[in-house]
Amino acid sequence: MKFLSLSTGLIAAALAIPALLLLYFLKLRRQERTVSSTLLWRRAVQDLQVNAPFQKLRKNLLLFLQLLILAAVIFGLSNPVANFIKAQQRNIVILIDRSGSMKTVEEDGRIRLAHAKDGAMDLADSLQGGSRAMVLSFADRAEVVCSFTDDKRRLKRRIEEIVPTDGPSKLGEALQLAVAYSANFAAGAVDKAMRGSMDTADIDLFSDGRIEDADEQFVTRGRMTYYRVGATIDNAGIVAFDVRRDIERPGEVSIFVQVANFGPEHITSDVSLSLDRKMVSVQEVTLGPADATTTRPADLSLAADGGRATLPPSRNVIFKMAHTAGGIIHVKLHRPDAWPTDNVVTAPIDPPRDIRVLAVSSRRPIRYFLSRAFKLAFQIEDFTLMTAAEYEEADDSALAIEGRSAFDLVIIDKHDTSRLWPGNYIFFGGIPNIPGVARGDDVDDQVFVSWREGHPLLRHVKLDNIFAVKWSRLTLPKHALQLIEGENTTVMAFITEPGHRYVITAFDLMESNFIKNPASVIFLQNAVMYLAGGGLTNSDRLITPGDTLAIPVPPGAESVRITRPDGSVDDIDVADRSIATYARTKDCGIYKADFDDADKTTETYAANILDPTESLIAPNEHFTVGAEDVQTVSGDIKVNEPLWPYAVAAAMFVLLLEWWIYNKRVMI
Amino acid sequence: MPETGATQPKSDETATLLDPDFMTRLEQLEIVSRKIHASRQRGERRSRRKGESAEFADYRNYVVGDDLRHIDWNIYARLDRLFLKLFLEEEDLNVSLLIDVSKSMESGDPSKSLYAKRVAAAMAYIGLCSYDRVTLCAYSDRIVGYRQGLRSRRMMSRVVQFLDEIPIEGKSHFSAAAKQFAMRQRQKGVVLVLSDFLDKGGFEDGFRYLLGRKMDVYALQVLSPQELEPELTGDLRLVDVEDDDVAEITVSKLLLDKYKANLQAYCESVRGYCSQRGISYYLAVTKHPFETLVLNYLRQRGLVR
Repeated sequence: MKFLSLSTGLIAAALAIPALLLLYFLKLRRQERTVSSTLLWRRAVQDLQVNAPFQKLRKNLLLFLQLLILAAVIFGLSNPVANFIKAQQRNIVILIDRSGSMKTVEEDGRIRLAHAKDGAMDLADSLQGGSRAMVLSFADRAEVVCSFTDDKRRLKRRIEEIVPTDGPSKLGEALQLAVAYSANFAAGAVDKAMRGSMDTADIDLFSDGRIEDADEQFVTRGRMTYYRVGATIDNAGIVAFDVRRDIERPGEVSIFVQVANFGPEHITSDVSLSLDRKMVSVQEVTLGPADATTTRPADLSLAADGGRATLPPSRNVIFKMAHTAGGIIHVKLHRPDAWPTDNVVTAPIDPPRDIRVLAVSSRRPIRYFLSRAFKLAFQIEDFTLMTAAEYEEADDSALAIEGRSAFDLVIIDKHDTSRLWPGNYIFFGGIPNIPGVARGDDVDDQVFVSWREGHPLLRHVKLDNIFAVKWSRLTLPKHALQLIEGENTTVMAFITEPGHRYVITAFDLMESNFIKNPASVIFLQNAVMYLAGGGLTNSDRLITPGDTLAIPVPPGAESVRITRPDGSVDDIDVADRSIATYARTKDCGIYKADFDDADKTTETYAANILDPTESLIAPNEHFTVGAEDVQTVSGDIKVNEPLWPYAVAAAMFVLLLEWWIYNKRVMI
Repeated sequence: MPETGATQPKSDETATLLDPDFMTRLEQLEIVSRKIHASRQRGERRSRRKGESAEFADYRNYVVGDDLRHIDWNIYARLDRLFLKLFLEEEDLNVSLLIDVSKSMESGDPSKSLYAKRVAAAMAYIGLCSYDRVTLCAYSDRIVGYRQGLRSRRMMSRVVQFLDEIPIEGKSHFSAAAKQFAMRQRQKGVVLVLSDFLDKGGFEDGFRYLLGRKMDVYALQVLSPQELEPELTGDLRLVDVEDDDVAEITVSKLLLDKYKANLQAYCESVRGYCSQRGISYYLAVTKHPFETLVLNYLRQRGLVR
């Protein structure tokens, strides 16, 4: 047993006990009795007082009882605890995972985040006087819930306010914030000793341990402790989803769904497709149990379809339907489980439309290649071809409509330009004249070292046999995504700016075998599908919870009303802006943007979790950050059990005893 | 005689002072003095002086001037010398009853004052029946009631009236009262002091004054059962009934034991003082019947026979 507030108890004792004794000397309201003479009584009292100065207090049962009550109360004030975690003073950063998987409903009916908050509050309670803590919550982004403080009530109040999101869990930003706040607080600390302790602020992570980027992080300061939260493992969900409209038959929509089982049992469930809340199709899937060794979604694989014992834990489900209009589709896995968030996927679809593509090139082979590719291979009717000079001299109205690019995709060959209306651009051998992008010297005799095969632009693009004689060294903004990398240079990059998406290729098509390889055609088709919206669903309409929406603002609009999945609305002022941004997208579901322009333009976005890491809700037994194992605290989190209620109960009992004794004596 | 605000004796107390049967038994008793005192009047007691009673005492030589009637002529006939025949003189006895009527005598159940009055009445009756000269003296810090020269049982009504009317009030100051009494009562005799002797001024001087008058002193200390075994609990503010003195106590077994030890020591000190000076001392507790006290104990101690 320890006393968390021993100093408080000692101060209270130093004040209260002498005060009580003093009161006993002074106060006693005595009952008056008449006696024949006080002669002998005085002598008796004097004799006793002479023998002992505190004789007055000796064998005074009521005083002893009151002292006992006082002792019990002081004991309570000292905040005694049992089963303590840590005795020494500490400064900690409490990280609380509030990602989608923390919404998992545990056996007691409470969600996993509630358990995490309980544990965090208990930990805050157990802090000894002088210890400080800060609280960060994180999902895909980190948020400072409470800065460093020793006020336990404030810490607990702020922890209580944490709400779950549907976003994926990423630890990196939270760790950076934790380190930064620790450093700032330590720098601002007046007390040298405190500064020293702040440098070694420990990190206490309350999570189920399913964190996407844990392997990429490392703890630079302090010691991390992982408090494993949750026990439920039964879950099945939709982990991948795509909607495509056949380019050749725009009226036909294909919906691809990957359903995975993360539980230990076989499951059979229906997967339904609804369009605008009307059921369109239902398919039954049977999935085997998840591999016990499966800890990462990359391990999910399709096993050979054999007997029930060898059923794969995941399956692809494909729906096809004829639909020429727009709408919102829902795909639902009809199986109640601990985490229902991943059982539903929503997506807006647009009516089929003609894709407009502009190719800017002054070189005949390239013009020929692009014309053949788009017109014949992709059967895009609205294909425009310009030279670089024509592009620069073209009237604005020819290139832009209502402040946006008039084309769904613009391909610019060997040309740098500043005429960049909001839209999608692919540069081959040229660069957009935008801040952060510059071309340096050439590099040669290098090969393509790696590329992102999973990116929608490079899906099925085989680059093994592609080479370029040389390419330019590119300077790119930090948020640029490298699609193809050389040995130490970027060959192809993808940059997303508000309203703009750029694919910049560093090599010249004429100095590469790219256009002679089928890979180029596949790449262009991917570009049409992904960038130009040829795949029906405009890829920027599907977001992950937590992403920022970039909504193009129609002319004349001054405000936009965002209707969130839970029905709440946010009004945003968009006057004189071409792009409206909206970041409160922590929940899965449909986000509808209604503009107040003349046409009452409406844009619809869908946030879906689609994250196998989150769907794997089984808490991680051993948590690793980088290559370092983190100390794990599992089961019931040991917290300080306050003993003051028992002290108060003891005080009450003694009080009753005193009352009884007093009455008994009075009644004699 | 009663003063304003003083406690009046209750009528039923008077009525029950002496029981007729008890009075009959008292008539057979007489007060005995260990000393033979000279009195002014003849009584039924033998005097140290030679007198004219029928009881022969001694012979002495005749001297001129002696009463010729007292010459023993038979001796003269045999010896031819004149001898005078002496007879014993008989005198009466002064019996004084000093009764403490201070406020402290009011306490107890039965009250100490009633007990003292009963004893006083009994002793007075015995004295009156023996033709003794009875003096009643009530005192607190001074003499508050005094009646002397009571002889013969006819005076019993006055005794009762005196005891009936005497108020119970004032502080006790035995020394002052005894001094006053000694100044006033010049004749020797038996003095019975009835008091609780809980006197903050001390009791020694009072006895000294009485002894100085060569009186045969008897002390009867009257205490109530409540004084011997206090029934007190808790935190108390004790107020002295006589002088309003206050003693704050928290009753505990230790304190009670200390009180009882002090009381015993105090009584022993009174007893010791008395025995050293030839004073007969007796402690009377009011819960014991006073008849027993008079008929048995005082008889045993020789005050009455």
